[in-house]
Amino acid sequence: MKPIEIGRLLRAGTTGFVVGCRVSQLEAPSFGALVRVPLGDAYQVYGLIYDMRIDDDGLVRQLVTADGVDEHIIADNRINRNVPLEMSVLGVGYQQDGRIFHLLPPRPALCLDLIYLCDPQEICEFTAAGRFGYFRHVLRAQDLPVGELLAAHVQQVQRAHLAAGDPTWIERATRELITLLRDDYPTLMSVLGALADAVSGDVVGEA
Amino acid sequence: MAVDFQQVREQVKQLGENARQHEQSLQDKRKQASELLEHHAGNLQKLREKVLRVAQQFDQSLRCAVPVEAGFRPPEALDAHFPVSQMPAQVVVLAADGSQIAPDRHQQVRYCLINVGGICIQHGQALPPVIHVESQLFYGDELYTPTGTITESTLALRRDLHEREMLLNLAQGFSQPVVSFTDGPMELWGPREVEAQGEFRKSLEEYLKLLRQLAKLGVITAGYVDNPLADLVVRMLEVAGASESELSQVRAQHPLRGVTDKELFREILLPGERSAVFALQSHSAAQYSEELSLHFFYLNVGRDAHPWLARVEIPAWVAGNDEQLNLLHASLVDQCHILGAHPYPYALHRAHEVAVVSLQEKDQITQMITLELHNRGVGIGDKSNKQYFKDQPGRTSFRGS
Repeated sequence: MKPIEIGRLLRAGTTGFVVGCRVSQLEAPSFGALVRVPLGDAYQVYGLIYDMRIDDDGLVRQLVTADGVDEHIIADNRINRNVPLEMSVLGVGYQQDGRIFHLLPPRPALCLDLIYLCDPQEICEFTAAGRFGYFRHVLRAQDLPVGELLAAHVQQVQRAHLAAGDPTWIERATRELITLLRDDYPTLMSVLGALADAVSGDVVGEA
Repeated sequence: MAVDFQQVREQVKQLGENARQHEQSLQDKRKQASELLEHHAGNLQKLREKVLRVAQQFDQSLRCAVPVEAGFRPPEALDAHFPVSQMPAQVVVLAADGSQIAPDRHQQVRYCLINVGGICIQHGQALPPVIHVESQLFYGDELYTPTGTITESTLALRRDLHEREMLLNLAQGFSQPVVSFTDGPMELWGPREVEAQGEFRKSLEEYLKLLRQLAKLGVITAGYVDNPLADLVVRMLEVAGASESELSQVRAQHPLRGVTDKELFREILLPGERSAVFALQSHSAAQYSEELSLHFFYLNVGRDAHPWLARVEIPAWVAGNDEQLNLLHASLVDQCHILGAHPYPYALHRAHEVAVVSLQEKDQITQMITLELHNRGVGIGDKSNKQYFKDQPGRTSFRGS
């Protein structure tokens, strides 16, 4: 399976990075998706998409006030214009010499590095490695919609594990979250509420 | 040293005191101009003869509108207005615009650059618009003309030429009608410096050749002047209103000075409507002969209660062909409506957006040239001291922890 390229790195730090992409590349990634940045020498950084932003400019602001926008104009603005389209990614781990670590990466990715969406096998490998250590990075990010992010992520990961014949991953993940949030009841309730919505939505979707 | 706001304040106050009186005088002149327009509305051939006679006998520099020659196109009264026709399903819209980096003697390297942007929108085809950009660097011997060096005005001349050339290149190979336009008048304006006039003549010849090729291809082409301040029709009315004894002094007589064509037609044209087509009488425009002779009309691209006037300059091959004229009219109104409350052809704005060279890009090009010369061991000059001090950062403040 050909890896799905979703953009290139704009800027990065130890705890995360920002990816710029074309509108035509925006169909593949989604909120909560696991992505990877291969950096060579058997080293790659993993992250979770927690924000996707499409900024406006003067022309776009002007166009939205006009009566009806022609399809050519929409295509011109999406394909030809330098529309700022950014995805923010939270760093959740890295792989070195075939071994996955749920720790912050030793060094960040560099500008213009390619970012790929993880395929189901890569998702299973990353999320099954260790003991959900990467949840720490998500729960620590106070400014993010933690519950929604975890719900979106868990929903995607659960599908990958179910397809790989492992129905127990979600139970283990939920138990770990309860343990990590046992002293933070409001966040725990928010996370469990979002998870319940995500999982029940998936069940309804499958029915 | 900052502006002396005390001095400016006094002058602004004085400006305000005179403004009402000035406005009243202008209103009277506008009324007079409207009456003259109405009075001479159908007097097309006599007015044409009078304007041409004045230009020939009394004022060879007369620059004004003139009613079109009888038989060239159906007669249109001076105050006539025509609604926009339906936009055809299949039409190609092309626009080009350019920008330039002028040679700067204060920088460490001397070069200049012309950047021309173009856009091609194919209506009726499920294809996204295609953008084009052509960047041409001038360096070394290319900075010299046969009689001197490239100046800002010779560069602007070359840019105008490149814009029209891009339209010609983009217009090739379409089976459907092609409408093309650039920003500003169609007439090429030359540099004032005497030593650059040879360059101007050469550019003009090339420009006319390009226009003839566009005409041969049947491409509709135009120059779009947004928010025009010209008084070409008003000047024609001044000539129309002058008595026979006053004609010899017409050059110095400007009874309607201050009134613009835009103000005149704002009262006449409904949204989407165009004015009558006028020919352009001017010494310089005389170089555009036969199928290239310059014409223009005014166009209201605004909305109800918010008129917005543009002047559209066209060559004779478009002015004399109603089908082409209607298509240009419909395309411009359609393009302007895309941008809603600030009507301006979308394609032109995009061409400008593609062409414009930012300060950051200019610095980057300067750096690229400097680096290339340095790597090849070629000596690089220094920035002027004046530039050095201009580039110094502004005042910084102390920030305690």
